Amino acid sequence: MLRHLVRTVTLAVALAIAATAPLGAQDQKGTLVFAVESLGAQTLDPILEGRPGNAVYQAVMYDSLVGFNLEKGGVGPGVAERWEMTPDGLTWTFFIRPGQTFHNGDKLTAHDVKFSLERQMGPGSLAAAAATMKRIIKSIEVIDELTVKVNTTSPQIGLPASLSRAVAPEGAIMPKNYIEKVGDEEFRKKPIGSGPWKFVRNVPGDRIEFTAVAKHWRGTPHFKDLHMLLVPEESTRVAMVRTGEAAIASIGPEAMLGAARAGLEVLSVPGTMQAIFQFWGTYKPEVKDSPIAKVRVRQALSLAIDRKQVIEHVMNGKARMPYPFSTFGYTDYFSADRWEKWAAEAYRYDPVLAKKILAEEGYPNGFELKFANTALPGTQFMVDIGTAIADMWTKVGVKVTLKHYEWGSFAPMERGDQAPLIGWASMYRTAGRPDAPWRYNGAFSPDSTQRLLGDKENCPQDCQEFVKTYQALGSELDKDKRTALTDRMVEITSNSWTVIPIIEGMGYYAINTKKVGQFNPIPGRHELGDVFERMPRPEQKPWKK
Amino acid sequence: MKRYIARRLMQGVILLFMVATIVFFLGRLTGNPVDLMLPEDATAEDRAALTQTLGLDGPILDQYAIFVGKAMHGDLGMSIRMKQPAAEAFFDRLPNTLVLIPWAILLGMILGIPLGVVAAVNRGGMLDRAAGTVAVLGVAMPSFWLGVLLIFVFSVELGWLPSGRMGGPSHYILPVITLGTFLVAGFMRITRSAMLEVMESEFVKLARIKGLSEATVIWKHCLRNALIPVLTLWGVFVGNLITGAIVTETVFAWPGIGRLTYEAVIYRDFPLLQAVIILKSILILSINLGVDILYAYVDPRIRLA
Repeated sequence: MLRHLVRTVTLAVALAIAATAPLGAQDQKGTLVFAVESLGAQTLDPILEGRPGNAVYQAVMYDSLVGFNLEKGGVGPGVAERWEMTPDGLTWTFFIRPGQTFHNGDKLTAHDVKFSLERQMGPGSLAAAAATMKRIIKSIEVIDELTVKVNTTSPQIGLPASLSRAVAPEGAIMPKNYIEKVGDEEFRKKPIGSGPWKFVRNVPGDRIEFTAVAKHWRGTPHFKDLHMLLVPEESTRVAMVRTGEAAIASIGPEAMLGAARAGLEVLSVPGTMQAIFQFWGTYKPEVKDSPIAKVRVRQALSLAIDRKQVIEHVMNGKARMPYPFSTFGYTDYFSADRWEKWAAEAYRYDPVLAKKILAEEGYPNGFELKFANTALPGTQFMVDIGTAIADMWTKVGVKVTLKHYEWGSFAPMERGDQAPLIGWASMYRTAGRPDAPWRYNGAFSPDSTQRLLGDKENCPQDCQEFVKTYQALGSELDKDKRTALTDRMVEITSNSWTVIPIIEGMGYYAINTKKVGQFNPIPGRHELGDVFERMPRPEQKPWKK
Repeated sequence: MKRYIARRLMQGVILLFMVATIVFFLGRLTGNPVDLMLPEDATAEDRAALTQTLGLDGPILDQYAIFVGKAMHGDLGMSIRMKQPAAEAFFDRLPNTLVLIPWAILLGMILGIPLGVVAAVNRGGMLDRAAGTVAVLGVAMPSFWLGVLLIFVFSVELGWLPSGRMGGPSHYILPVITLGTFLVAGFMRITRSAMLEVMESEFVKLARIKGLSEATVIWKHCLRNALIPVLTLWGVFVGNLITGAIVTETVFAWPGIGRLTYEAVIYRDFPLLQAVIILKSILILSINLGVDILYAYVDPRIRLA
């Protein structure tokens, strides 16, 4: 009897241990196959890849100094568990998570952090923010194995966010000793990171293969291998998911209905971008007689847009009413609830009021509007949105001259004197990021590329107010005051009706539920590079019917 | 003969120089890789730094002089996006395209030549019209649409074949059909025309008078003679396949030089685009030169002219 009891208890304890024990290498099975439209530069050296490529495939094998808030989206712990700023705002201290190792067994320390940031700023780096980093980072000090200080030339409140993969790729941590030992060329052939997946093979133009590590703080992979296939054609990607050749494929909103009808699960990642339209050079003397120089005319053009129709018919219902420009539910230091209510009212569809405003402003029969329609690579639905809103403007009497531009041809027009765009409206977009000021600076500062409120020679009142608010925000340490300043910055720009959101978009994926279990993406994060390790196998967590 | 070859080689070099020049300037008219590599909120400072790092900051004529100087020494530059010598990237992918071409040509010949013969023999009849329909469809059907249709039927609905990517023999079937359909039409039309011409020849009438069976006359005597112009079109078809595989390789996720060209254009990877077009031009010029030399060897009137 006693022996039986002991045996039963032992079995129960063993089962309990097995159930609660962390996932080990022996539990990792199968291959997770992901088909994607672009693998960017398809290089495993972080200093040679831009944000999208880093987020799609480099993220699986590299950790970032600052990581994600997995539940809410935005910034969260990464290689650094926490970080703090000195009261003068000139130094950030990052405290490294203990026990991290690279795939060759080397410990990840503060030396690797310093080396990685310096490598991003060094010669040969194609990092987008290399020049900004060089300007704002004065020095990097290793305090001990797990503590590193970054001294800046001026208060940089947004530094941790800019070193988070939620915002930019420059926080990727690389192995100092290994790179110094083997050199850049060998590192690019046999890269080593500290992420939950190890590099196996890179076949240019075709695929990248990874294999799981046995244990990782970001989540231990449930699959043994991860293959990322480069499949540029969307219908082929969907076909591959239908046949089971791939478990997951990135798709656009136009393919959602077809994928769902074919029995695939369609996953939407909320808050990944905003489709917007904006007016160029409205403050310039040569535009002063143009209707778009008037704030109320610009507001009327917004009122003429039926956003719910766009959401329903262009985005197949998988989008939502936007917050103000470049803000989302997860934006840091931002009164999201207040602005959500404001946006619901401000961005309503009211063609009667739109016509009334146009008549009051002296355009009872409308006016001629030049509109440049464009889309960034991978967001072809933007062209459909642009076409739809041009049609809606026509209905309130505006005669739209619509010109389509491929993105590579459109982008150069923004620079220099912006002559081809002055007096025009255009489509644009903004990616989902938690820190609003960075994007606002790029759009509105008089010395920025777009300078939509004013330039150095001609900075009207709202432009000056923006500059003042933005500068105050850069050195404000108090969270409440920072939130108030962000709200003020949003208010100034929203009331200028220069950059106007149309919809808040989502990222979409077609999923074969027999090949991968149910998983949750990171809100606001289109790419799945930081999600693969938490994807269960289908038998572990089936999708709900 | 040597003078003829030397003259053709010289023409080829001049043509290459013109191609390289056009590609260099036209490529730069369409935009800038920096715009595609930086996020939309990049600062002017970051843009300037990256432009300098990529060597795109000097006057365009200086950049052109550097490009020509290096190209004369066989250096076609580094791919901006892949950070790999552009010529190396081309030759890495070239074999993937070349493995498709013989199969596509074989398919085109196996189907196109008999169809052409049948059409010629039944000139104006039902079979001729049916073959004509095949030819029109083969030329008119966009390879993009055909590829997607084949994937839908044979991969998704029937589950017989993989929907794309390089792999075992079964991975070749759909891309080869997509590439080869155009050739079926081409071979069919050329064979038909050549057959009609040969069938009117005196030696064919003589063969019939001699009492040879109709099958022997058509398939042995007529076809053998009609194949001469058909075979000389190989060069053109191979050239078309090398340059025209872009769509097929994109639909089937085939990592060949067609896809490489597409990527070079999309990302404004100027050095890669220049290298791909120059090297493709060299390939096509070499094939055409080979055919011309062969012609000149066979028919002295050509080299004398």
